[in-house]
Amino acid sequence: MIRFIVRRIVQSVPLLLVISLLIFALIHAAPGGPLSTYLENPNVRPEDIERLRKAMGLDRPLGIQYLSWLGAFVRGDWGFSYADGRPVLDRLVERIPATLELVGVACVMALIAALPAGILSAINRPFDKVSSVVAVAGISLPVFWFGLLLQLVFAGALGWLPSSGRESFDGGDLADKLGHLILPATVLAAALSAAWSRYLRRAMRDTVARPFMRAARSRGLSERTLLLHHALPNALPTFVTVVLLDVSMMASGAVVTESIFAWPGIGSLFTEALAKRDYAVLMAFLMCGSVAVMVLNLVADLAVHSLDPRTRDAA
Amino acid sequence: MTRKLLERTLLLSALALAACGKGDKSRASGAASDLLTIGYDREPDTMNRYATHILEDIESCVVEGLVTNDEKMNIIPVLALEVPTIANGDVTLRTDGGMDVTWKLRPGVKWHDGVAHTSADVKFTVDAINKGDWKPESVDGFDRITSVDTPDSLTAVVHYKEVYAPYRLQFVRGTLPKHILDGKNIDAAAGYNRNPLGTGPYHVVEWKTGEYILLEAVPNYWRGAEFPKIKRLLFKFLPNTTTRINQLKSGEVQLVALVPWDKVRELRGLPAVRLNTVVGNGYEHVSLNQKHFTPFADVTVRRAMAHAIDRDLIVNTLLDSLVTVVNGPIQPLSSAYEKDVPSYPYDPARARAMLDSAGWKVGADGIRARDGKPLSFTMITQSGFAIRENVSQTLQKAFRDVGIDTKIRLIDGTSISSVWFKGDFDAMLHWWQSGADPEITLFFASDRMPPAGRNVNYFKDDSLTTLLYASDREADETKRIELLKQAQRRVASLVPELPLYNTSKVDAVPTRLQGFTGNPANAGPFWNVWQWQLTAK
Repeated sequence: MIRFIVRRIVQSVPLLLVISLLIFALIHAAPGGPLSTYLENPNVRPEDIERLRKAMGLDRPLGIQYLSWLGAFVRGDWGFSYADGRPVLDRLVERIPATLELVGVACVMALIAALPAGILSAINRPFDKVSSVVAVAGISLPVFWFGLLLQLVFAGALGWLPSSGRESFDGGDLADKLGHLILPATVLAAALSAAWSRYLRRAMRDTVARPFMRAARSRGLSERTLLLHHALPNALPTFVTVVLLDVSMMASGAVVTESIFAWPGIGSLFTEALAKRDYAVLMAFLMCGSVAVMVLNLVADLAVHSLDPRTRDAA
Repeated sequence: MTRKLLERTLLLSALALAACGKGDKSRASGAASDLLTIGYDREPDTMNRYATHILEDIESCVVEGLVTNDEKMNIIPVLALEVPTIANGDVTLRTDGGMDVTWKLRPGVKWHDGVAHTSADVKFTVDAINKGDWKPESVDGFDRITSVDTPDSLTAVVHYKEVYAPYRLQFVRGTLPKHILDGKNIDAAAGYNRNPLGTGPYHVVEWKTGEYILLEAVPNYWRGAEFPKIKRLLFKFLPNTTTRINQLKSGEVQLVALVPWDKVRELRGLPAVRLNTVVGNGYEHVSLNQKHFTPFADVTVRRAMAHAIDRDLIVNTLLDSLVTVVNGPIQPLSSAYEKDVPSYPYDPARARAMLDSAGWKVGADGIRARDGKPLSFTMITQSGFAIRENVSQTLQKAFRDVGIDTKIRLIDGTSISSVWFKGDFDAMLHWWQSGADPEITLFFASDRMPPAGRNVNYFKDDSLTTLLYASDREADETKRIELLKQAQRRVASLVPELPLYNTSKVDAVPTRLQGFTGNPANAGPFWNVWQWQLTAK
């Protein structure tokens, strides 16, 4: 097991190197740069822009910029934000708790909805019809539209919930925090649970149709035991892989949801950094995102390992 | 696992109920007269006024300039006793071509830590900026200062090596506190840059990254203990426009500065909101890049295009009459504004005749051509501005009506500046938002094409260039204005670009807020925040 993990980590090093080169090239290929907002402002003279370009080291050839970034990054120096001059690491770290909180709660909510919905729709035809309509709606609702709609209804018309932020500036007790969490977490959870419930349904139905289930039923096992002790464990590995892959995509922040709800996580930092072409923050963010995807992929494999004895034997 | 899930479910349901009550509570506290909540479209990068390229609103509540500009764009003293001029003897021209400006500081002004604000701070500011070991956003004007003398603690004499006409706004961003920053690397002075020491009515209590900045009134503001009237200002960062407008409607925020024009209709009729409109100091126009699309080099073509546009129609329909038609780059509020300039009323018949006379004949497809080349160009504009997209389509139709083909290309906000900076476009619909000083050299002088300036029309006229540089080197305000008026007449007669309308600024403020005036230039609407007051309901 340890050898497996070590091998995966070693394999990921060249991959990360290639990724870093690719994203560096990509973000620099996009038009504009950290100084483009200055161009629009008549009060900042071209002489000033040239002076700042030199001071920020943006006048150096791209290859040199990449190598100096890589050299520093490997040594643990993530550089300074082009926008506010603060250390990139500080800017990322201060945003992580908010993202973990939002993504964590959204995932739990999504699981609470998806697990029963997936299992039930695999065995109950009328429920399946209803839930598939709901799931299709959940999957196809554009996040920004659904988010704004919830704001209009629950914060605007009804006035029950705050429409943005993580907490009131003068509040900050648990109820206040949870109140702020409901709308963004619901928006995220809606899309996730819709997709997840469909995956689980599919996996359950595949399992239920297999001969060992018929054999178990013929042995007189109750439907409940059949479902929860025979079908579910067999359906879970596929489901868990899908869930963890989805979570790994969201580990880099729920970009759209965070920006609509002004949620101070790394997703909204990304939106901001992208608009300002804050190369230092973007590189760090994208590298962290890549690492998160790799780590959660590994976790998914390990989870399948432990859930599915067959893979354990193979290893 | 299941038990944990169950616990979480219960917790979530409980909090849903709890939060309902909370929502109401925060509404009530938001309405209190000691707190004003502002929905702000971005989080500042820094609170150091010299390191940010716009005079951010939040900063101007904390750090005051020696002067500011009021809602009529008059330059008025703040930490200075008066604005130096030749007439009051505070500006003298030296025989070697240089000039000396004497700033008399207001006595009794203290930094928030109780240390007196003195001429040493003025000198330190100039020296720190000219030292060049950090990254102030603009060194404009400072790079022409040779030295600063401080004959006494309230007098700073600034020596310029040449005449610098916008000298009055040299210290509009204020001064840097010597006793805090002396000997420090200002770029890395996080303490100052996140929580600057100022002399203004408020100080920073809390900056919660990604969420808000909370300001609180200082106890002994120099204008008197009764100011400011509002105890706390909360700036919530809400980059999404719809979220900002939704929160204004729900009462979660009470003030939103610079409401996009296409949202104004939504906000009309809200009982708690007043829409305050000021004529802005910017103008929407179509830049015509003569270098990239050579037919624009012909003044007859440019004049014909100006005649083709029904600007009144655009203003009255698409813009709900929020703005006014303008004929040039200096706006009506400016003291240098020239009203009597050649203008180009809507007259498509005349436009057609002019294009005919210039040799552009209508082809079978209805598009004009000369020497086999069609009169067809691409107009770029920034995406995401609903009204601007509508205006560009109206222009497209207007030009088509006189036989000119226009293609529209929308470019996102971050990318568009790099496109025009390279001169890689035919025409561009956009605006410039200028400071209170009327200088326009950067936009029209022949040697100010990018990258040396913002003459994106790539327009070359020697007599205009001479006039503009003469105005920059004129310290006498009256004479400078006369030169600028001549320059405006010249610009209007040669139409290097097509001026459309003034960019009015609409701010949504609570009806019970007194003293709010808005501000046309980049001093921003918070320029007089010390006198704002929230009345009881």
